[in-house]
Amino acid sequence: MLKYLKERGPSGARLPLILCPGCGAGQVLNYTLHAVDKIIHEDGIRKEDLAFISGVGCSARLTSHYLNFDSAWTLHGRALAIATGALLANPELKVIVFTGDGDVAAIGGNHFIHACRRNINVTILCVNNGLYGMTGGQVAPTTPAGIETTTTPYGNVEAEFDLCKLAQTAGATYIARWTTAHPRQTIKSITKAIRKKGAAFVEILSQCPVHNKTSPVEMLHNLKKNTVSIKKTKQSEKGKIRIGEFCDITRPEWTAKYQHIIDQYSR
Amino acid sequence: MNKLHINPGYCKGCLICVENCAPKAIKAADKINSRGYNLPIEDDMKRCSGCKLCEIVCPDFAITIEIDETNNKKK
Amino acid sequence: MTHPQEKHFLKPGVHYLQGSQACAEGAIMAGCRVYAGYPITPASEIMEHAALRFPKVGGRFIQMEDEISSASVLLGASWAGAKAMTATSSPGFSLMQEVISFAIMTETPLVIVDVQRPGPGQGYITTSQEDVMQARWGHHGEGSIIALSPSSVQEMFEFTIEAFNLAEHWRSPVLLMAEETVAHMRERVRVPSQRQIKIINRKKPQDLGITPEQYLPYGHDTIPPMANWGEGYNVNHVSLVHYADGKITQYNPEMHFENVRRVQQKIENNISKIARLEAKFIEGCRHLVICYGSVSRTAIEAVIEAREEYGIDIGYLKLITLWPFPEEQLRKVVKKVDTIFVPEMNLGMMKHPITEALRDRCKKIIAIPSLGNLHAPEDILDSICKELK
Repeated sequence: MLKYLKERGPSGARLPLILCPGCGAGQVLNYTLHAVDKIIHEDGIRKEDLAFISGVGCSARLTSHYLNFDSAWTLHGRALAIATGALLANPELKVIVFTGDGDVAAIGGNHFIHACRRNINVTILCVNNGLYGMTGGQVAPTTPAGIETTTTPYGNVEAEFDLCKLAQTAGATYIARWTTAHPRQTIKSITKAIRKKGAAFVEILSQCPVHNKTSPVEMLHNLKKNTVSIKKTKQSEKGKIRIGEFCDITRPEWTAKYQHIIDQYSR
Repeated sequence: MNKLHINPGYCKGCLICVENCAPKAIKAADKINSRGYNLPIEDDMKRCSGCKLCEIVCPDFAITIEIDETNNKKK
Repeated sequence: MTHPQEKHFLKPGVHYLQGSQACAEGAIMAGCRVYAGYPITPASEIMEHAALRFPKVGGRFIQMEDEISSASVLLGASWAGAKAMTATSSPGFSLMQEVISFAIMTETPLVIVDVQRPGPGQGYITTSQEDVMQARWGHHGEGSIIALSPSSVQEMFEFTIEAFNLAEHWRSPVLLMAEETVAHMRERVRVPSQRQIKIINRKKPQDLGITPEQYLPYGHDTIPPMANWGEGYNVNHVSLVHYADGKITQYNPEMHFENVRRVQQKIENNISKIARLEAKFIEGCRHLVICYGSVSRTAIEAVIEAREEYGIDIGYLKLITLWPFPEEQLRKVVKKVDTIFVPEMNLGMMKHPITEALRDRCKKIIAIPSLGNLHAPEDILDSICKELK
């Protein structure tokens, strides 16, 4: 997949990725490029039809200067509004947004729910590591209760969001949750999400070895252990996070609906 | 026999590839390299099935498996 | 950009429009095809007119969930090749400052209209010029910006087109610092035909024979040529300090200084090409009124009456461009006067750069403030007479 990255430019080498050893965000990038590669080869999509946008955080670094695609590393929480703008200018673009749990559910929460409500044609890939990684490990809206972080040194008193439920209520038309320990399922879901004409949300539970002070391998092991596929059980299993495809429906997409207005009133 | 290639400039020794290798064809080196990482090295590449899961799960695009077409193992 | 829906443009000739409408129509004539907005008094009419008119010319309009996302839409739209605009009022303008800062650093052309109302806080919903300092200094960090001050419905139309041209040429966000007066007033507007309007579009690497392999998103020139998304140039937009090729690692102070200084000097070294002012009765005048925006409409009346009824030898100077501040141009025009009067709908803001520019060219500078209300000609004339008679 290195062909999809800018390994070096006129001012020198850009790789290795700036991320910590064993960071789940790096894996999400790898999975995404595998999905993109599949789509380019199977669907006849050109490389220049894709655009990647990120906000701020570890996940956002993926677009900082690594991608051999049109991309932008933008403002914390605002990637989805910016993606909306790109689609208003060129609805043919396939826009993929890398976001983190803080970026999409805290500062970007409002834009997240409206992007889903509008069913704008965007693929939202959320690297969810349950905290704010880039800034040193603070609590996030996705940090479970009781967890100690740098800003919850006595334990988190808040409950966490279920981002997939949030996406569902807001109106996203493809919703899935996997983990970095489920590469093939993640690639499959990302592929489906990019192909989806509408707001597609894929949450990937991801390890942050540094702030959790746990080795990447052990964290991946835990991700596998602490999750259960919704295919296996309809009930919530105590202490386990449900993963799988939660939603795959069809609803009119924003630019498609607006095009009817343009067609009718520009005559 | 398939060959393991590690880019020592990109690999950060997280060993996720080794963990994901079901046939255990690769292992972690005993010694650390100049950057402080234990790089993955070949253990017994006869066991390598060419599934390339290691390439998929690498966070740093540091690993490639060169498939030996002449000795193609069919499963 | 081409204009396939020209049949839906305003017909050439004289139209009777509200300033807000003229602004939206100017945007359409300039080639703007993406509008994002959020309701706020007294700017909502611009948005409502855009909602009505944009689809007719093949453009897209969206009402976003807040001002921050409205401004953010402009970033993505511009990178994808469209001219994009939003309009807000003072409280929304405060919210947009981070996006403006980001647009300055990524050198993204876009137009933001601030229909100023009094502050601070919710202030009031009438007219004001209280954001003119925020226009220059509200965004965090260094860099420079272009801000125009329209004083009539005709100028709402023309300056919106000029704002887009400046944005595209200088690869910069451009602010149209309107006021409630000029947005809500209705006047006749002379609308030329599309062919008579000068439109400037961003310079692209394709125009200069630069291939995708050779392309440096922040290089090649002081105003870097700008490739759009979807053209195969693999453009990475980034607002961390960067090298000309967009690389952000291997930071060093030289790269930092080079990057930010070029972005700032791109505008600050070219003020004479960007800034405009308008002068009347200025030749050898003894005193001077310097004004901008809708205040210039009543200030000119005061100046004429001061000259004709009171025999005061006073000139009139209108700032069309507030930022970059035309210090050199002012000094060229104003050689020696006694008193400079600066009527503003604030407690004295542009008075500061005016003082800095002309302190040694005059004996006294007097602010004539008004809050929430347009000065009547008598208000300005009374201050002049009180001082000089």
